[in-house]
Amino acid sequence: MASTMRSMSRILTRTSRSALSPIEHTAAKTTGLFSANLRAATNVNSRSSSSSSNNNAGLLLRRSFSTSPACLRARTMGQLKARNSTGPFSWKAALLFVLTGGGMIIYFRVEKERLERKRIAEMSKGVGKPKVGGPFTLKDLDGKEFTAEDLKGRYSFVYFGFTHCPDICPDELDKMAEIIDKVKEATKGENVFLPVFITCDPARDTPEVLRAYLKEFHPDIIGLTGTYDEVKHVCKQYRVYFSTPRDIKPGEDYLVDHSIYFYLMDPDNDFVECIGRQDTPESATRTIMEHINDWKREGKPLKKD
Amino acid sequence: MGWLPWSSESTNTASDGGRIAPDRTSRQRCYEGRDMFFTCLDRNDILDAIKDDKEARRKCGKEIAEFETACSRAWVKYFKEKRVMEYNRDKTIERIKKEDAAQVQELKAQGWNSR
Repeated sequence: MASTMRSMSRILTRTSRSALSPIEHTAAKTTGLFSANLRAATNVNSRSSSSSSNNNAGLLLRRSFSTSPACLRARTMGQLKARNSTGPFSWKAALLFVLTGGGMIIYFRVEKERLERKRIAEMSKGVGKPKVGGPFTLKDLDGKEFTAEDLKGRYSFVYFGFTHCPDICPDELDKMAEIIDKVKEATKGENVFLPVFITCDPARDTPEVLRAYLKEFHPDIIGLTGTYDEVKHVCKQYRVYFSTPRDIKPGEDYLVDHSIYFYLMDPDNDFVECIGRQDTPESATRTIMEHINDWKREGKPLKKD
Repeated sequence: MGWLPWSSESTNTASDGGRIAPDRTSRQRCYEGRDMFFTCLDRNDILDAIKDDKEARRKCGKEIAEFETACSRAWVKYFKEKRVMEYNRDKTIERIKKEDAAQVQELKAQGWNSR
């Protein structure tokens, strides 16, 4: 075997005298089919040369069909390098991208919140008759008639309570006083907010008692009272539960159970939202101001005098 | 329970027939009397001052007298009831929290993962 190998390689060097040595060497190893292998090797060579010439033709072809103007092409290596290092992005593009994106996010978020509030307000309005609130007739502390019409044109903030309330109402009224001041500050003193206190205990809470009581909390609170039936009617309108006994003996001491929500009503006197025990003066003011600002933004009428 | 004289202010009548409610200072006085009385109850391990009235009066005689002078009878009753109610409420919250924690422990032991 070794002798034949040697003789073959001698024949190979003698016949081809070319530089195709590695292919020929492996071919020689496989023996026998020497000539066939040689042919294959030359074939490979010729194919690669023809394909390279094809490539050149393709390049020429492509260039002739090119539509991009020649001036876009980089003139110098510097320009080419600069373009390649940043690609189509520059700081201007990045800034524009960030600003547009940020703006969109903020806009969508604000708009979403506004629509959500509007939905809540619309939902509370119900169809036809409002679910909470409605016409009533009571008397203010000067004995003048006060009806639901007097609440219209402003945002009103209605609270039901009684002066002999042990601890919850005084706490809530202190909160109300804070809210009044905060809303006043936020609306820059515009008179668009009407805090109202309606007593559930008309037998004991006469105008004089109510006036003295409310003065301790905030001078702006409008106190309202009426007959037992009038109060019962307004409580029913506002879906307020209360347990005042109808006939009480003079001097009898009792407490009144009642619902402890603030009702925010819009200038059409439609119910907007409840403010409850869980709200802080800050969170309540935020809610109220959002509604007032929405109302203003929609250009609806609002009394300010 | 009504043998002690109660605060004269709560029976005050306004000129238009209404009854004057305790003002801020008398409310404050009432709260202070209440807090003092309740501290005494805590010290003597009494929860319900209505049910254990005799015991409360024996041990916190001075405090209850002050409390009942500073607050009207309805308020006294209200605060005593509220004390029991709040105690039960806190107990319930505590129990639920404990049960929740135990349940979480159990679920974790079973290899359950939140999320």
